[in-house]
Amino acid sequence: MTANETRTPLASTLLILGRVALAAIFLFAAYAKLKPQASMPWSGSSIKTSLSLFAMQVDSYQLLPPQLVSPAAHFLPPLELFLGLWLLSGVLLRYAALITTLLLGAFFGVMVRTYTAGLEINCGCFGPGERLGPLTLLRDGSLLALALAVTIGAFLRGRRSRVESAAVAGVSAPQRAD
Amino acid sequence: MTLAQEAKLSSRINRPFVRRTTSSTASRAPWAVAILAAFAILAPASNAQTAATPASAKTAAPAHKHAAADPALSAPVKTIGNHSAPITMEVFSDYQCPSCGNFYEITLRAMIQDYVASGKVYLVHHDFPLQMHNYSGQAARWANAAAMIGQFQDVDAALFDNQAKWTADGDLEKYVAGAISPANFKRVQAILKGCTGPAPTSKVDRSLPQGEAGCPVDPYIIQDIVLGTQVPVQATPTFVIRYKGQSYPASSGFITWPILKQFFDTLLSQ
Repeated sequence: MTANETRTPLASTLLILGRVALAAIFLFAAYAKLKPQASMPWSGSSIKTSLSLFAMQVDSYQLLPPQLVSPAAHFLPPLELFLGLWLLSGVLLRYAALITTLLLGAFFGVMVRTYTAGLEINCGCFGPGERLGPLTLLRDGSLLALALAVTIGAFLRGRRSRVESAAVAGVSAPQRAD
Repeated sequence: MTLAQEAKLSSRINRPFVRRTTSSTASRAPWAVAILAAFAILAPASNAQTAATPASAKTAAPAHKHAAADPALSAPVKTIGNHSAPITMEVFSDYQCPSCGNFYEITLRAMIQDYVASGKVYLVHHDFPLQMHNYSGQAARWANAAAMIGQFQDVDAALFDNQAKWTADGDLEKYVAGAISPANFKRVQAILKGCTGPAPTSKVDRSLPQGEAGCPVDPYIIQDIVLGTQVPVQATPTFVIRYKGQSYPASSGFITWPILKQFFDTLLSQ
């Protein structure tokens, strides 16, 4: 077995682990934002309350005008849920990973800006109660690096697949000619 | 383990990776499998969060548990609005912190005029003077002394309205005197007669702050700081909202009135 042959299954396994980890993190982030607060049962009303609570965390970043805060707070958790499921499915992984990386990059940028501006607020990353600080920045930076690695891995795998398909087509074409 | 540590631990997210069996064919799994797997991942997370709920519920700050420091003086009433309002909002604030000033001027003032006046919200002020601010402890003393004679709301407003001015020179007295009648100001001065030393402030290491023995308001400030440490207050302003006996997780920082109002409306529509 050549070094190249052993590298491919390892890379494949790492890619699967990476995307499942990202999927789990996104699903948990969505769950933490949508889950009922204060011992309420799951219902439309409890989810509405949780999203209103999340809107306060979005507002505390002082980035968006009040009229955009609520739409953003109602859009982000479903987007995280969708991305988590998409990553988990592995369908069109390149695009799922790319969108995830862009989203995490945006989150990370906003967090760095807020932290350097000296605002002492809750992160809101995984629901309420977590203060934005160096550890949350380190964690989100690591997630961004992971998403970037999965994106690169997914694009490389896609390119390799295309090259292999072209090679197979190149070999089979003369056979058909024969 | 203290309540503060317990609450802090329970609020931490400790699920960096979820074990799941995968195969090389997983990348082509149909959506149905993906959704089932998602539920498998969410189930343990749900349990973890449920376990964390009692700890955060335990930190709910009681609004009216003031131990009397001096039987001759009544406990300071640092509340605005009707006690039987459906929503209670407890704010931990530092009179010298700029975010607290903005929060008061832009958000709380509008809230007091609207939802507190209409009996929807009961506002409870808690002092959480930070060690890094020179005059915030002293400002808290003035506010508490005014609260002992029922003049809290006016002095509270005056301290925030003139925050930039007294922060520069520490001359708080002038603004308190301007907010209440001369007779009431004399009463407030009399209460603070024994308060000549440094005022209590929250400590970075979260140790118990020391008050001055002869100062009747210091025990109330210390009591608020202890209460805040249990929430836990990590920055000011921090506020806890309670509705129908349930406490919602503490929020920190400046929040605009339209967004806070939206949260209240969501609660009231339940």
